[in-house]
Amino acid sequence: MTKINTISDLNALRNKIINEQKKFKITVTLCGGTGCQASGSQAVIDALKNELAKQQLMQTVYVRRTGCHGFCEQGPLMVIEPGNIFYCHISPEDVFEIVSKTILKGEVIEKLLYKDPVSGNLIKTEKEIPFYKAQDRHLLSQNMKVDPCSIEDYIAMGGYAALAKTIFEIPPDRIIKEIKESGLRGRGGGGFPTGRKWAECYEAPGNEKYVICNADEGDPGAYMDRCVLEGNPHLIIEGMMIGAWAVGAREGYVYVRNEYPLAVKNIKIAIQQAMNMGILGEKIFGSSFSFHIEVARGGGAFVCGESTALMASIEGKVGEPRPKDVHTVVDGLWNKPTTLNNVETWANVPSIILNGSSWFASKGSKGSKGTKILALTGHIKNTGLVEVPMGTPIRTVLFDIGGGALNGKTIKAVQTGGPSGGCLPDSKFDLPIDFDALYEAGSMIGSGGMVVMGKETCMVDVAKYFLTFLQDESCGKCVPCRLGIDRMLEIITTITEGRGKPEQIELLQELGDTISQTSLCGLGKTAANPVLSTLRYFREEYDAHINEKRCSAGVCQALITYRIDPEKCTFCGVCKSTCPHNAIIGQKKQVHSIDLQLCQKCGICRSECKFDAIFVN
Amino acid sequence: MLQYINLKIDGVNIRAAKGTTVLDAAFEYGICIPNLCHVPNLSNIGACRICIVEQIVNGRSKVTTSCTLLVQEGMIIKSNTDKIRNLRRNIAELLVAQAPNSKAIQDIAVRCGVKKVRYPFRNEKCVLCGRCVRACTELFRAKAIGFVGRGKNRHIDSPFGVLSEFCKRCGACIDLCPMTITPCSGPMKPGKERLCGECESQLYLSDKTPDHCVWCELGKGFQCGRY
Ligand SMILES: Cc1cc2nc3c(=O)[nH]c(=O)nc-3n(C[C@H](O)[C@H](O)[C@H](O)COP(=O)(O)O)c2cc1C
Ligand code: SF4
Ligand code: FES
Repeated sequence: MTKINTISDLNALRNKIINEQKKFKITVTLCGGTGCQASGSQAVIDALKNELAKQQLMQTVYVRRTGCHGFCEQGPLMVIEPGNIFYCHISPEDVFEIVSKTILKGEVIEKLLYKDPVSGNLIKTEKEIPFYKAQDRHLLSQNMKVDPCSIEDYIAMGGYAALAKTIFEIPPDRIIKEIKESGLRGRGGGGFPTGRKWAECYEAPGNEKYVICNADEGDPGAYMDRCVLEGNPHLIIEGMMIGAWAVGAREGYVYVRNEYPLAVKNIKIAIQQAMNMGILGEKIFGSSFSFHIEVARGGGAFVCGESTALMASIEGKVGEPRPKDVHTVVDGLWNKPTTLNNVETWANVPSIILNGSSWFASKGSKGSKGTKILALTGHIKNTGLVEVPMGTPIRTVLFDIGGGALNGKTIKAVQTGGPSGGCLPDSKFDLPIDFDALYEAGSMIGSGGMVVMGKETCMVDVAKYFLTFLQDESCGKCVPCRLGIDRMLEIITTITEGRGKPEQIELLQELGDTISQTSLCGLGKTAANPVLSTLRYFREEYDAHINEKRCSAGVCQALITYRIDPEKCTFCGVCKSTCPHNAIIGQKKQVHSIDLQLCQKCGICRSECKFDAIFVN
Repeated sequence: MLQYINLKIDGVNIRAAKGTTVLDAAFEYGICIPNLCHVPNLSNIGACRICIVEQIVNGRSKVTTSCTLLVQEGMIIKSNTDKIRNLRRNIAELLVAQAPNSKAIQDIAVRCGVKKVRYPFRNEKCVLCGRCVRACTELFRAKAIGFVGRGKNRHIDSPFGVLSEFCKRCGACIDLCPMTITPCSGPMKPGKERLCGECESQLYLSDKTPDHCVWCELGKGFQCGRY
């Protein structure tokens, strides 16, 4: 491989690659991300390559296997250029038809097109898909243009130009100034101004400094970091190198969650490729700047994503947080000044350097700039990764992009910010997605998880679910978090079991406040959010559980009874034969009923009944 | 040469050597900040959170543990505000509900103003303060015991659950353990756990917890460095 020693080397290489790629008349982009692989994209890719070879089209058709596009529920996905034709749910059997019709003749195959669940229309091109259209896919769109294992693709897209500009033209303090002015804030949850963090690390005494990329992503349901790291690893490398140049680090770590094998593989390949080209390693681009990156595998716990726990884990110690009275920018990894940023934060850096801070600051709201990737899941029509400018109202994400609730029902709440975020009711859906606005509303952007909840969700049960997660994931070191979460869960459990007392609400509030103010690390400091936010917005549900022993959503087992609607019962007897507890009484041709003494509330009868005759009380 | 630093704790001008923690600096001037996991001359891990104080930075107050906070020039610390007393009481309440069978824990509860316990009592034998672990590791370099497990399963054990050959049976761990001293009226039976509060002469403390040392009996032989 050629070594790059100057900016003009890089430009020449880019032009050469672009010219080579121009030889191909047609480009087929297939998603090879973890989501699409799970739905069988590898077999499609293999079948396509076979078919193209058979028809001797390898010289005209370029097959690009990219990282995740963020629309995993429709996978495997394919985009054919020119024409921007978008096919979804492709199986290897479709490949012959795709090659012979679409690739050779430009005909569109209707059965592979995407059907908009809102309007019911078939949609031909990727650009017209409502899910994509309402987004601003600054980072995610780059995923679609590069093969993660090809440094050439990345360079062709303009990659490493920001790094070259940095090394040859911009001194560290100006990089820091640029990042400060851009208003970039950390995407890992805290929203700390990145420029300020870099400045503190730059000013910290010492020659040995480190930069770290946090790709631990332990939030259940979140996968934006995986998507970016897996789909565009060179972008992260470039971002980290610019950061290292700015703060004065010569070594960096990418800390990847153990459950992300493809991300580990891709970043390792990318590091090797960059080393081979002289982009990473000693005397980069022939300058005096040297930088090395190592990949560290995560300890497998949610709390290992916390900055001090992560550094302890890299050092080979137990991944446990420690007090941060001296910040990690001064006393971090191996007690050296360390800059830790999230994957998405690093990913934003190269384009800020290339396009300028004012370009970045032009997107977003007053206090939160740029775009944010959200993981939209739950009771909603379109699920997947969504990238929107900061400041976009929650409602836009839910309805314009997400297409509204499933089955035309209403959305009761959204939970933002992962397990330690908060639940917001529909009266708050006009709030902008903005660090400060969500924080004031008792929630947070967090890592960007967004779980949509419908009418059949019990908010007390939701609080219980997240508390259970946090109790398992708390490291157990400090008292408020270990014992406090445990006691909150104890109280919530008594409430869901109908043994709650009115004074417990106040106790929950007081305890939640104590935990958030006194815990050692961010896990404890935010652990009360699920309880406090549901108490704030759904107080009536708690009251109903406590005072009336009623769970209006019909979720809390101890508070519900199953009954048969005599009007709807057709005496078919299905419930009677499926009930594992013999709790259903009724003769042939007579209305059936449920013996409440025997009923174990498993709900099997309800799901089996074809006439919707069984309801929850 | 020793460098000295000037700061204010509860309005008192304090001079402390560089590298001292706020907790140690306060003790030196007779300011009483309750604590549990802190042991003089061992590292501080900030686990019990009893020693919290308010630090005023640019007019904004920040709650942090005094045992892990090093003195800085011009620092302003408040150790005995209403806010801190409430938070401390809530933490002490969690502790005493978890492990009522210890005089040390009961003392802390009284000292921090716990009047009633709003949670069902448990009768755990360990509060995971980690004093034993640090004594073993740092004083004797034996590492015969350590923390095992995470969250609810966290406990103290010897490596792989077998008595380590490095254990010199020095007993330092037992000396430092808050759970070895039973309440004055003897161990509480399962189901009979309660908030002790029997040191009636000391109870006035919980109404108006002092910020200066009054030579009370609480913490005698344990967390109070005066005895
Ligand atoms: C319990 C806990 C888990 C965390 N997990 C992650 C994570 O998985 N990924 C991440 O980037 N940041 C995580 N963070 C935030 C990090 O501590 C840190 O603030 C962040 O990586 C800094 O990068 P940023 O400024 O770019 O956001 C976590 C924090 C806490 C308290
Ligand atoms: S807040 Fe929770 S996770 Fe963080 S150090 Fe304390 S116990 Fe561990
Ligand atoms: S004594 Fe400071 S946290 Fe325990």
